[in-house]
Amino acid sequence: MQRLFAFIEYNFHIILFVILQIICGFLIFSLNPYQQATFSKSALNATSSINNWSSSIYNYWDLKNQNTWLQDQISKQFRESYPQSLSYMNDTFNVKDTSKRSLFDAIPAQVVFNTSYKTNNRFIINKGRNHGIKKNMGVISSQGIAGIILSSNENYSVAMSLLNTNMKIIPYINGQEYYTEIEWDNTKLNSLTINGINKLEKINVGDIVSTGNSSLLFPKGIPIGSVSKISNTSKSQYFKLEVETATNFRDLEYVFVVINREYSSLNHLLSDD
Amino acid sequence: MIRYATYWALVVGFQVLVLNHLDISSYIYPQVFIILLISLPLHLKKTYQFLIGFGLGLIMDLFVYTPGIHMSACLWLIAIRMIILDRQDLKEHANNKLTYSIKTAGFFPFFYTTLILIIVYHFYIFWLDGIGNINLEHMLITGLSSSLLAITLIGVLQALSINKYE
Repeated sequence: MQRLFAFIEYNFHIILFVILQIICGFLIFSLNPYQQATFSKSALNATSSINNWSSSIYNYWDLKNQNTWLQDQISKQFRESYPQSLSYMNDTFNVKDTSKRSLFDAIPAQVVFNTSYKTNNRFIINKGRNHGIKKNMGVISSQGIAGIILSSNENYSVAMSLLNTNMKIIPYINGQEYYTEIEWDNTKLNSLTINGINKLEKINVGDIVSTGNSSLLFPKGIPIGSVSKISNTSKSQYFKLEVETATNFRDLEYVFVVINREYSSLNHLLSDD
Repeated sequence: MIRYATYWALVVGFQVLVLNHLDISSYIYPQVFIILLISLPLHLKKTYQFLIGFGLGLIMDLFVYTPGIHMSACLWLIAIRMIILDRQDLKEHANNKLTYSIKTAGFFPFFYTTLILIIVYHFYIFWLDGIGNINLEHMLITGLSSSLLAITLIGVLQALSINKYE
């Protein structure tokens, strides 16, 4: 304390100078109309800049909340946009959702673990049985299909990634479902292969590959990817298509678990058949 | 003391009654009264110097109605004067309680100290006056011409005071 007083005493003239200059500044910018206007203009510019700056910071910190909100909005939209009936295998039978509610529901989740460099890649999400997630539910990202739930505990679930050699999905291209499978052959990240499409079919690079009617896990029309390369060997009568996945698995962070509300009953019907 | 006060009153009167109403050109506004601050007694405490500067600036602001501008400029002048005088060997003169003048500091130290302070003072008040919309060319001409006239008048004042003392 004594040192503080000594410091103040030694530098009193500097403190006085600063105080008097502050008084002068106040007088200049409050009593001189021209200086006052200039000060007001500068102050407005400065406060606008500071407000913009603080707003950017606030927005940055609020991104997590915004993200959660957006996920909820997407889930809601998902529920509302898919039909209340499901046709299976081209009208082999048609199931109406009698409860007048959406057949599919979506639960937003966050990926907490993910691999994309293995032969059989998997990822873990932060939602489990407590959130209504069970084995054999589809998982999609905001871009397209991401995987299928393999198992769940109370709070977490493991999903088989689309980049898994055991993953088989029937592709739907240009309004037609092909009874072959789209699969990952573990050669290139974010690239799938489709074999067995007849060369007579009209397929072009850039065509969208999506889910069709032959899955109980995903609604029709969820993008899987787009055709990036068509291999046409003279020996074979089939194309070999390379499909770039819609979902970027290296950067998978937010997903939605697709719940088919009638999965059990529909699956039961199918097994009876 | 009375002599000193009269000298101050005369210089301030000369500034507010004559120089402030001088209508030679729109580029000439010499501030001669600052010689009073430049030539303050050398033994005076720094705190008092700031208070005197503040007070003299207040008087000038009252006459030209520019609240704060001369006060602020006078405070800066005192601060810069302190820095410059700290580098000059004036301890003996301070002990003898002399003022800062050509006689005590010598011609060249007094001349460059005064020149620096006058230029800083003029440019600072013209800058504050036009803040936010400064015409650099106008400010440069006004600052230099006013400073030139001010240093000439201060030179005359100094010469008169030397003759008076002698």
